[in-house]
Formats: sequence, C-alpha cells, structure tokens
Amino acid sequence: MRRPEEEEEEEEEEEEEEERSSPGWRRIPINDNADLLAEILGRLDGRSLAVAGCVCRLWSALGRREAVWEAVCYRQVAVAGASAASGGTRSVVAALGGYRRLYRLCIGPALDRLAGVRRRQGPAASAARHVSLSLALSLFSIDCYERLGGGGGRQQQQQQQQPRPTSLLFLGQPVDVS
Amino acid sequence: MKREHEDAGMGSDDPVAMGPETAKGKMVPVTRTGDEMECGVDELLAALGYKVRASDMADVAQKLEQLEVAMSSDDASHLPQIASDTVHYDPSDLYAWLDSMLSELNAPPCTQLPPPIAAASRGNKPSAAAAPPRASALHDFKPVVSPTAASVGRVVCDTDPQSEKILSPRDPKRMRTCSSSSSSSSAKEATSSLKLATAALPVVVVDTQETGIRLVHALLASAEAVQQENFKAADALLKQISVLAASQSGPMRKVAGYFAEALARRIYRHSPLPQADRVALNHLHSHFYESAPYLKFAHFTANQAILEAFTSFRQVHVIDFGLKQGMQWPALLQALALRPGGPPSFRLTGIGPPQPDNSDELQEVGWKLSMLAESIGIDFHFRGFVASSLADLEPQMLLEPEGKRGDRDGVEEAVAVNSVMELHQLLARPGAVEKVLGTVRALRPRIVTVVEEEANHNGRTFVERFTEALHYYSSMFDSLENGGDTEADGDLEEQQQHRAMADAYLGRQICNVVASEGTDRTERHETLGRWRGRMAQAGFEPVHLGSNAFKQASMLLALYAGGDGFRVEEADGCLTLGWHTRPLIATSAWRAAAAAAL
Repeated sequence: MRRPEEEEEEEEEEEEEEERSSPGWRRIPINDNADLLAEILGRLDGRSLAVAGCVCRLWSALGRREAVWEAVCYRQVAVAGASAASGGTRSVVAALGGYRRLYRLCIGPALDRLAGVRRRQGPAASAARHVSLSLALSLFSIDCYERLGGGGGRQQQQQQQQPRPTSLLFLGQPVDVS
Repeated sequence: MKREHEDAGMGSDDPVAMGPETAKGKMVPVTRTGDEMECGVDELLAALGYKVRASDMADVAQKLEQLEVAMSSDDASHLPQIASDTVHYDPSDLYAWLDSMLSELNAPPCTQLPPPIAAASRGNKPSAAAAPPRASALHDFKPVVSPTAASVGRVVCDTDPQSEKILSPRDPKRMRTCSSSSSSSSAKEATSSLKLATAALPVVVVDTQETGIRLVHALLASAEAVQQENFKAADALLKQISVLAASQSGPMRKVAGYFAEALARRIYRHSPLPQADRVALNHLHSHFYESAPYLKFAHFTANQAILEAFTSFRQVHVIDFGLKQGMQWPALLQALALRPGGPPSFRLTGIGPPQPDNSDELQEVGWKLSMLAESIGIDFHFRGFVASSLADLEPQMLLEPEGKRGDRDGVEEAVAVNSVMELHQLLARPGAVEKVLGTVRALRPRIVTVVEEEANHNGRTFVERFTEALHYYSSMFDSLENGGDTEADGDLEEQQQHRAMADAYLGRQICNVVASEGTDRTERHETLGRWRGRMAQAGFEPVHLGSNAFKQASMLLALYAGGDGFRVEEADGCLTLGWHTRPLIATSAWRAAAAAAL
C-alpha cells in the first residue's frame, strides 16, 4: 500500500530532523516490525483488536495470529492457579477452534454481558464477577461439540446444513465473521 | 373501577364502536334509532335472546357483578349440590332472573341454580345437546367484545379433548389451551361474558391480580374436587379456570394452561401422554438446556465434583445414568485435558432408554464425544447401554469388559457415577431405587453425583402433590420468562421458539405429575432432604462440593441476563440453584461410606 510507504518517507525525513534536534531518540516504522506490532496489538482489548484488523493487510494478518488473540484472552480473563499459557492449553484450545474463536464466542460476549450488568447495577454490585478461563473453555468445548454435527436433537436424515449450535445463545448472538 | 367503566360503557353505548371485533362474531353492528328504541330493549342482547331494557342496563350489570361475587365466594362444597339441580327460571328476562338468583344465593343453603351449569353437568361431551342455544350463542358473542375477551373465546372454544394435536411440541400455543368441552358453559362464564359484553363496549378492565388469586384458588379447588372424585364440580371449575387464565399474561397463564390441561386429562381419563418419539423429546430437552441455566448448572457442578475426585488417577471411568445428548461431557473432557499432570485415560459408559426406531443414538453420541476427545488428545473409550429402566442394570455389566475390576495394566481405575434427574423416575416402582443404589455401591465409585429437582411431588395425596407442583412450576416458568435475555440482540422469534419448546418440556412434566398414576407417574421428585436420607441408608456419605464449584456456578449464573433472579446457594455441602427464594434444582455428591464391606 502506498500510504505506509509515504508515511515512512515522511518519518524518515522527520527522523533526520529529530536526530538533529534530540540525539538518542529514534523512531521505528512500526510496519517494519511485525513482531513488535503483534506484541502491541496483543495488549488491546478484543473489540479494539478487531478494529485494528481493518487498518491494512499487515495489521489484518497480524490480527488473526493466534498468539495475539491468546495474549488478549489471557489479559481479559482471570486464570485460576499456576501459569498462563502452557503448551497443553495451547494445543487444546487450538483443537477446539483457536483463541480468536474462543474470544469471539465465549469471552467477548461474556465480558459484554458482565459490563451490561455492571452498567445496570453499578460497579459495586458486580465487583466479584469476572470471567474465568475454565468457565470460558467449558462453554467453548460444549459449543465445539455441538458443531460436530448430529447433536441438538435435530433429525439427521433431513438435515442438509450444519446444525446450529445453541448452547451459547444465552450469551447473545455473536456476529459471524469467520 | 369496574363499575365506573361499566357505567361509562353504558353511557357511550354505541354499538358501532364495536366495528372491528364484530367480524369475528355473529353480531351485526346496529345503530340505534328512535324507532328501535321504542320497545326499550337493548338490541345486542336481544339478538341473543335476552330481553333487557336499556334503562335497566346499569342495574343488570351491577347485579351480574354481585352474582359473580356471590357465586365465587361459595365453597367448593356447595358446588356438588348446585351442579346437580335443574332449571327453574327463564333467563331470557335477565333483570328478573338476576333478581331471583341473587335473592336465592344470598339466602343460606341454596339449592337452585342457573341453567347453564345444569347444562354443563348434564352435557360433559363436546356436543352438549342440553345446552340451550343461547348458551352457544353466548360463546360466539365472546370474540366480539374486545381483544382480550377475544382470546377468552379462543381459549375456551378452541379445543377438542380427543385431539392429539395438543401433544405436538411444534404447536406450543395449543398446549396452553384447556381441553375442556367447548360448547357447554357455566353460569360463571355466562355472567362474566355478559359482564364483559355490557361493560366492555369500549374497553375491558380486568383486575389481573385479583383474577390471578382467583385462578390459583380455582386450580386448588379443582384439585380438591378431583381428589374427592367429584368430577362434575372439577369440570365446572375447569371452565372457570380457562376464563380466568385468559386474563393473565405470561408465565401464570402458561402454568394455568398446562395444569388445567393436565387436570382435564385426569378427569376425562384420557390415555396418558403417549411416548412421544425420541427425537421430539431430545429436541425439547436440548431447548430446555439452552433456555434456562438449570441443566448447565447441574452439569458444571457435577463435573467439578468429578474432576476433583479424579485428581491423580491415571485411569478414570464415568458411568452416566442418562446420557441423552452427552452435553455434560465435553466440558469434563476439556478440563481433564488441561489438568496439571496431563489427561488420564477416560472411559465413558452411557446408559439410555431403548429407541423405537432402531437408531443407535447412544453410539452416535459416543462417536461425537470420541471425536472431540481425540482432537484434544485424550485416550477415550465409550460403551453404550440400552436399558428401559436403571433397575435392570447389574454391576457386572458396567465394570471392566475383561472381567477384572478396574485393574487394567495394574493401574487403579477411579469410577464416577453421574445421575442427572434420573433417580426420581425409579420411585414409581417399589424397590427399584434401592436396587439401583445397591448396584452403584457395588461399583465402588470414588464419587457419585446426584442432581435432582428440589421439590416434593411425591406426596401421598393428590392435592398435596398438586399444590407443590403448582408452586414449583410457577417459579420455573417465571424464571424462564424473566431470566432470559431482555436486551435481545438475537432473533426474537427464534428465542420465542426456543422458549416455547422449553415450556413444552415442562408441560410434559406437569402432565405426568398431575394426570398419571402408578407406574406411569415417573416424575416423582423429592426434596434434597429425602434424597440425603436415601443415600445415607444405601451406605453413602456426603462429599462437600467445594468452593470451586460454587464459584463456577456463580460465574455461570452471572452470565445469564436475568442473573439476579437466580440464586446459587450452598446447603450442607450441596449446591442448589433457585429462582428468588425458591430452590429449584439441587446437586449433591456422595461416596461410599467407609463402614461396612459389601
């Protein structure tokens, strides 16, 4: 895209000016450093990260990285017990559908729901309420199971399309962007 | 209040105002002219066969109201005499009739009664020949009056007791209607419909709270009558109930509808609800799973108990007494996969009822679960058992197929037995629950999780069961209605469909509690206290469901939109989920008491 390049040129010009004015301060064009950018994006909340994915192709690609969403998830939920992401957790979550999906289906709607409750009742009332990773993963696994097909009591013979999983409907209807 | 509106109604007594509703009825809007008023008779009522002078209308309305109060204040004990007596007065002269009725009813033990009730008792069949034609015309008159009264018409006229359509879970609206006979009517109806007619030309005012109380009283009185085998009185009350129910809205109306239908089934001794096909039942069950947190609560708390009992075991075996769609197990599989130390080798034995259409549902569920388990890296084995009753199971069937108990490769296997709302069905047959608990004990499980409805629907007398059930299901329906997503960002129609299915699921339970007896009555819920007693007697001791389970349950409930109404409470190590002050479902965990050897 042309715009980042133009920006880079401007930045380089500014860089030179800056270097002249304050030595020791160097600007880094962020799009050159995908990992740095990913690290930054991983500190956003879910909605901002999704918005950031609309900026440009690079940001969109980074915004779909599992590692980024993993960081987002762990920031947003309370993890009981030991460490954050371990290899085992990663493989399980990947098998169930990935962190991005986990956020979209379970954690995001849950956080929204709790925020709504907080809005309605005032901050004091919901001080103790938060989403735990284990709960979110439980709900996620149920949803994944439903999507395996043939569940929910629908008639197998007549079903042409994938049965619609319903176990997460109580959280509200997520927008399907996958 | 009502009277003022009636008077207002009298004042602006313009028949043309009834324009839109008349399409439904047989009334023709007639404008009053001086000529037609010469006989002084109100034309609308005249078309029905009642002669009432226009000048008397206010009085008539007032007297009708008095009559209604007088009749409704009668105890149920008077009704038997009332229901068996014959006509003495000609009701076409409404003013005089009302006068005589009131004077009689106000006098102690009255023995005479208005004709329509006699007609009702004489003609219990849908096509009551004895009912005077004006009674059926009265029925047609109902839809005319106002939208709410129109729904009255729909409720009462619509149904046929023989109709199996009532059972279709796909037509939830019909299930709400009372399956009482349609063309005979009670005086109660007559008076109330007339009152509606006279009072409600522009508007209907129904005091819903008062009618709500009256509705509950009518339901209880009807149950009382059924217990005394006084089916005529019960039938008359049922008609009252259907009228009152129509004035209610939301959960109360649905509850009243289901209970009235169940009572009607009991009175008319219709065949009990046929075994709806498995697919429909599963459909209802899964919608109930989705619409209300009860089943999720049950699964999550039971899973937590099982998870804690399985710590440090490398081989685990779960026996599920009611596998259904297997919705409980993905969460447990996921938790086992993520536990510190890695997942164990997992065996699941699922037990289900026989399928009428030869489809092996248990195997399908097992297959799906094994796919999930494989994707998350758990060594999974599944076995399905078809049993029409849990009492048919023997311990040897459930243990290791190789014959050695639990010692595969010398590693000890931990067994968990899980029963979600399955044990109460065993109470229908004497001795069954003791046998099953004995079987469970023989398996030497590490933990037994029991989830049951927290209610006493197994009392000795019918009235006791009816009253308990009425309160329980009122709370249930209330929670379904108000516990849902009020800021619905989903498809409203679809949500309503889900709720209708969940309602139907509960409706079947209501029907079973009220209308069935003996071995058919499988919904024999008992309270936690009684289950505790049973388990203790069978040689189990309670295991406290720790704080993790409580926290997880609270978090789960916080996610439900109406979350405030739901209450998770801890009672002596057991967790209960309830709606406001009423606990509705209870989870408890048990293990074999150390004491006696087998």
